[in-house]
Amino acid sequence: MSNSNNTDKPITATKFMKELSRYRKGSISRRDFLGVTGLGTAMAVMATATPSLLSSKAMAAELGNRLVFSTWPNYHNPANIEAFTKATGVHVQVNAFGSNEEMLAKLQAGGAGWDVFVPTNYTIEEYVKLDLIQELDISRLPNYDAGSNDPRFAGPATVNGKVYAVPKNWGTTGFVVNTQKISSAPKSWKDFFEVTMGAGSGHTMVHDYQLTTIGAALCALGYSFNSIDANELAAAEALLIKAKPHLFAITSDYQPGMRSGDAWMTICWNGDGVQLNRDLAHMEYVVASDGGEIWTDFYCIPKSAPHVDAAYAFINNLQDPAVQALDAKVHGYAPTDARALALQPASISDNPILHPAAELLSGLEFGAANTLTNPIRAEVMARFKSA
Amino acid sequence: MKEPSKSNRWISALLLAPTGLWFAFMLVLPLIVILVFSFGERAAVGGYAGGFTFEHYANLGARLKAFTNTLTYAPLGTLLSLLVAYPLAYYLALKVNRRYKLMLLVLVIVPFWTSLLIRTYAWIYILGGRGIPNILDWIGFEGVRLINTPGAVLLGIVYGYLPLMVFPIYVSLEKLNKSLLEASSDLGASPFKTFRQVTLPLSMPGVTTGCMLVFILLMGEFLIPAFLGGGKVYFIGNALVDLFLQSRNWPFGSAISVTLVVIMLVTVSLYMRMTMRNNKTGVDESLM
Repeated sequence: MSNSNNTDKPITATKFMKELSRYRKGSISRRDFLGVTGLGTAMAVMATATPSLLSSKAMAAELGNRLVFSTWPNYHNPANIEAFTKATGVHVQVNAFGSNEEMLAKLQAGGAGWDVFVPTNYTIEEYVKLDLIQELDISRLPNYDAGSNDPRFAGPATVNGKVYAVPKNWGTTGFVVNTQKISSAPKSWKDFFEVTMGAGSGHTMVHDYQLTTIGAALCALGYSFNSIDANELAAAEALLIKAKPHLFAITSDYQPGMRSGDAWMTICWNGDGVQLNRDLAHMEYVVASDGGEIWTDFYCIPKSAPHVDAAYAFINNLQDPAVQALDAKVHGYAPTDARALALQPASISDNPILHPAAELLSGLEFGAANTLTNPIRAEVMARFKSA
Repeated sequence: MKEPSKSNRWISALLLAPTGLWFAFMLVLPLIVILVFSFGERAAVGGYAGGFTFEHYANLGARLKAFTNTLTYAPLGTLLSLLVAYPLAYYLALKVNRRYKLMLLVLVIVPFWTSLLIRTYAWIYILGGRGIPNILDWIGFEGVRLINTPGAVLLGIVYGYLPLMVFPIYVSLEKLNKSLLEASSDLGASPFKTFRQVTLPLSMPGVTTGCMLVFILLMGEFLIPAFLGGGKVYFIGNALVDLFLQSRNWPFGSAISVTLVVIMLVTVSLYMRMTMRNNKTGVDESLM
């Protein structure tokens, strides 16, 4: 989002100063001031975080005292969760998962006991099909503002006209290049595989994840990231197997290799791109010009959730723009909510790794549910890894 | 011998009950579940969906490379562990000054106090570009690649499984009657002949146990090839992880597990028969 486009943000720095002086002069009330600037929400959070101001016990009686939350590693600000516990008396047990497949398997096996969890766009339809998640009562989430969430990101939350999820963060899957070692400035997946088998031989990594690795090979060949066509997948397999002797590793834990200098290029989620680039300026994140993945993570409540009231209260709390901005400070990913984006400093909200140019984004695809469960793709990955 | 009284038999049964239940619920039942799953169908979104088919067994060839990799690296890793562990166990049992013995034994165990995952991560850094290859660079060997090679996987195996090999061998060498060695030498045998005809045969039970422990665990290994092989060395353990956690094809994964159990039963029983026969002739020779 460019700086000039400030109208949809709740408050800008200049407007904030103007409102502040109005408040000082007494032309608006304190309450209006806090409401207009968004500080009110922040203060409300702070106030509820102070146990003496709010009877925890009374709240606990309504919400219970426990909540089980399953999410991804390093994806939340612990301070936010502590504040929620202080305000409501609900203790949050956080489970971290490494993949959507693991989450699905756990929930499918039954008795997971989760109240809230964080699936990625392409799994929501599956969860609905398996009757594992609840339709959300949006009126119980007053902090959620559908209007400030780009429909492109929020779209997968609606299945058959019913809303099952609210969005959290979004991102892209591209690649990172060590520009000190690779000077040819690869811009596409086609370039990625050419460099892998040429100047960067022995120093490239791909994910240990079929969705993104096969997807990258498909894009390099000019096919869809989500293809499940047997012939196209055979071509992608041939490309991957041809590239394999030139690979440094097949791993989803690629930061250590990039940081040590052993690897020069890797398929990369943009949050890792931000972290690598922040510490090492010669690490350049590229959204491939020939396609790739765009994704959104969501909050959902399982059908089997034992503490539904607490779950709504928790999601509502996390939808607060100020809380979202605090979360993003820790995990680095871009919020889907324009109100939270407005609260971030320009260095983050204008970061091209988090907010690539629109023409680059238009070529990206959301992963599809049947891409993930497709048996041919699973076998292609197995043959590639064992080749 | 006196017939055990009725109450005695009751007490025995009662004392054995926990073990029996443990075996039934923790060993037999899961194995039955895996066997049943292996003949089932994969549900459309993954998992298990009942049915009866041999399709997954017919499809085992799709993981042939993973099987052959495991069946190459597991015996090779066991052999290398034995070659490294035997001299160490020999030194600890027969040569080392008694004062340092306990300390050295503890040092062999100490790595076990930390998770294998963390220790394997440490090896990623030791073998990575800033570790040993960096030192080799200084002394003139440029561009040496250690990490993410089959050699790194074997090194990780020997490192990770060494204590399991050292201790059984150490115990059998420790029990060895030292006067046998003196007798052998008094009767004119060279040190090498004494080792070959006395020490080695008498330590065979330890060697057999150690090899079994290491081999069986290696057959299911997935962490070391994934981390030190950079995911490019694919064991059957890695194939199973992918089938259960990624593509969620439980029936195919179960069929592979059942096949793995059968392969292990066959190789281990062959191995037992072979070593037991060798042990016998070994002992006979040493007594002649």
